Amino acid sequence: MNKSWLAPLLIACFFGGVARPLAAQVLDGKTLVEAELVANTEGIVPGQTFYVGLRLRMAPGWHTYWQYSGDAGIPTTIAWELPEGFGAGPIEWPMPTAKLEPGDIEVYGYSGEVLLLVAIQPPPDLVVGSEVTIRGNASWLVCEAICIPGNAELSITLPVISTAPKSQNAEFDFWQRRVPSADPPPFSIQWEQSAKGLSGRVLSDATLNSVRFFPLPVENQPVGHPSVTEEGGESIIRVDAVAPLRGVVAAEVGGEERAWLVVADADDAMAASSQGFPPLWQALLYGFLGGIILNLMPCVLPVISLKVFGFIRQAGADPRRIFLHGAAFSGGIFLWFLGLGAVIVALKASGSEVTWAFQFQNPAFILTIAAIVFVFALNLCGVFEMTLPGKAVGTMSDLSGQEGYSGSFFQGVFATLLATPCTGPFLGTALGFAFSQPSAVVMAMFGSIALGMASPYLLLSARSEWMKFLPKPGAWMEKLKQFMAFPLFATLLWLLSILGGQKGIDGILWASAFFLCLGLSVWIYGAFCTPVSSVRTRAIAIVLALLIAVGGGWFFIGGGFANAASPSASTNTKSGIQWESFSQARLDELLAAGTPVFVDFTADWCITCKFNERTAINVPAVRALINEMGIVPIKADWTNSNPEITATLKRFGRVGVPFYVIYPAGRADDPITLPEILTESMVLDALKKAR
Amino acid sequence: MKLYHLAIALLATATLAIAAPEVGKPAPAFTLTDSNGKSHSLSDFEGKFVVLEWVNFGCPFVKKFYDSGEMQKLQEKHTGSDVVWLSICSSAEGKQGFHTPEELQAKLERVGYNGSGYLLDSDGAVGKAYEARTTPEMFVIDPKGVLVYKGAIDDKPTPNAEDIADAKNYVDAAITEAKAGSPVTKAETKSYGCSVKY
Repeated sequence: MNKSWLAPLLIACFFGGVARPLAAQVLDGKTLVEAELVANTEGIVPGQTFYVGLRLRMAPGWHTYWQYSGDAGIPTTIAWELPEGFGAGPIEWPMPTAKLEPGDIEVYGYSGEVLLLVAIQPPPDLVVGSEVTIRGNASWLVCEAICIPGNAELSITLPVISTAPKSQNAEFDFWQRRVPSADPPPFSIQWEQSAKGLSGRVLSDATLNSVRFFPLPVENQPVGHPSVTEEGGESIIRVDAVAPLRGVVAAEVGGEERAWLVVADADDAMAASSQGFPPLWQALLYGFLGGIILNLMPCVLPVISLKVFGFIRQAGADPRRIFLHGAAFSGGIFLWFLGLGAVIVALKASGSEVTWAFQFQNPAFILTIAAIVFVFALNLCGVFEMTLPGKAVGTMSDLSGQEGYSGSFFQGVFATLLATPCTGPFLGTALGFAFSQPSAVVMAMFGSIALGMASPYLLLSARSEWMKFLPKPGAWMEKLKQFMAFPLFATLLWLLSILGGQKGIDGILWASAFFLCLGLSVWIYGAFCTPVSSVRTRAIAIVLALLIAVGGGWFFIGGGFANAASPSASTNTKSGIQWESFSQARLDELLAAGTPVFVDFTADWCITCKFNERTAINVPAVRALINEMGIVPIKADWTNSNPEITATLKRFGRVGVPFYVIYPAGRADDPITLPEILTESMVLDALKKAR
Repeated sequence: MKLYHLAIALLATATLAIAAPEVGKPAPAFTLTDSNGKSHSLSDFEGKFVVLEWVNFGCPFVKKFYDSGEMQKLQEKHTGSDVVWLSICSSAEGKQGFHTPEELQAKLERVGYNGSGYLLDSDGAVGKAYEARTTPEMFVIDPKGVLVYKGAIDDKPTPNAEDIADAKNYVDAAITEAKAGSPVTKAETKSYGCSVKY
């Protein structure tokens, strides 16, 4: 068989530079780095963003570098060759590790294995069934005691499919979790600038272990080696640099390694994640006061003097025994409340601590709490009554019929249970807030409420002559109960304001519409579903109430509320930047007129873009400068593929976002471009050059 | 007598330590031996511009400039009556870049070295005094002994020789501006390269 064509073909393949999915960097017969392009999907759905990853497997002892390499080294780069209409985002870098070398040299990078993620945006007009090849030229520096630059021409070929299978890619999920999140972190940092540099106090409700800071300086920004120390239970980050400094804070939270993008700015502290909750001592004080006030409820007040007389009867004239009965009764109250606290702690343990602390960032959570608060407020107004199931009442009645201290103890539990129709609303609200607090705070809060509720019994059983100071039960108790609805309505207002920040005015309106339906259905229940109405009436009432509540929920919440855009995303907020949509015609028109223009190329799936917008562009100083200079801001939103935007990017030699161009007034042929990592001062300086 | 010497030595090290490399301030003093066994001090060159080039012949970023001949061209351009170009190697013994004087004499001949002197700093004292962290890392000192530039050799932090042509050379610019008497526009940049092998 004639195989003379074989050798030249093999040689051609070897030297032909055909891009392959996997390549190896070899030194003296030892493989230092294996590089491969992988994707998080089996096929490309037209118009649907997916992720490609550059997997680098390094030999033991060798490392490659992070987005900011540190004192030495250079970060890995990927130059993409994408088919027509495709776009790529920037590399999303998982959190690095720091390495200290002799001579006080610190570098940031990866050893073992890493997956560098890149979002790829395919155009919507791909033909299903065809194949697409994505090429990337990756360059890196791998070092041990010495450094060797490496590169590989890699490619990955994927079919175009109509729908993506819902399979999870464990490898991508793992590395995605390690990419710094641009979401607000579960902590806030108070930064201070001094001659020695920046120092930041990390404040958090969640437990953060092993806090680290990795700087992301802009070009030529001098930055020292960060250090983190534990002082008085808080982590203090110190770094020799001048604000503003971007960086990544990494920590172990809830058993998982997570990281967040932060900006160290000494001027304003980052927005706290706990939405201004009062400090611990205040929460405890309110709990205690709340507990005392609960005693004034119609279901509770008449019972107090009765119970105390009961102690006196049992104990005879012995003051010590009277007090012990009172203490036993209080013990019952404590059991009830601490039991409630324990249930919450157990429920919290089922989710990670981070999840619960985050809940106040979640509009759905706020909506649920607001609905509960609203319903409870209506209950206090008297719109409907809450009743206890008969069996529970029966058992408790038997237990508390016993004589002696145990009887008093169970009477304490029983009395608190019976008080539920009156105390329920407040406990329910406290329960809701408790979910966002650490376990110790939860138990402490419930303990202080219990103390508040038990205090009359303790006081009066210690000094029974003070009973003459007890308010006499009367019609005023019902009015007080109704009045207590108003603090709950105030709480509702506060929750709605948080919701407004998250979902805008539309969000508040849709939520209120839902509450209207909820109110109606609760009234129907209260008016028609009473113990004295017939079974038929009760059944119709319940069905109707449910229908209205569910219908309102589906229509207003599922439809309107879910689609309400957050205020920063809307283009028409008065205080925000008035972005115009990108169009080539409009850009040409503005440039011909000599107007200065600032174009922000961004996409929803680009974390860096969103972070830049939040910290360096949508800030008061930049907004003011844009207005003052008459610069026209244009947002080139590339979330859904746009051929005009793609063409403009290409003209600047770019394949992806983020990208920023400033056309100075009257000098459209001399545009200023900004790099990927932005700070407020960079944007301001560049804009000033546009005069 | 011994105490006197000790005191002087301590004072000398103290001055070395106190003078951190800050642009606009006097550059840290040093005395080192070159590949021919001759001793040089910074003070010897008062009245001339001094360029300090941290070097490690094994580092890919240094090779970028030496293999392409670009470093030697720069050295030729900037040595003469008014400029001195000193290459300093702070690699510790046994680490990459370390060469004995005998090895160096041959090596410098082979690469066509055009600088004024290749100084050996194997205990790393001068490197640490200048806080040199990468190779290459460049410092330019004016005739009065004031540091006027510290940082990268150019603005393209890659190991590829093709990038030299389009890159802006910071050392060139600093010397040209300083000679013309104007302030150096880019006086401090972040250097790039391999870590110095202390």
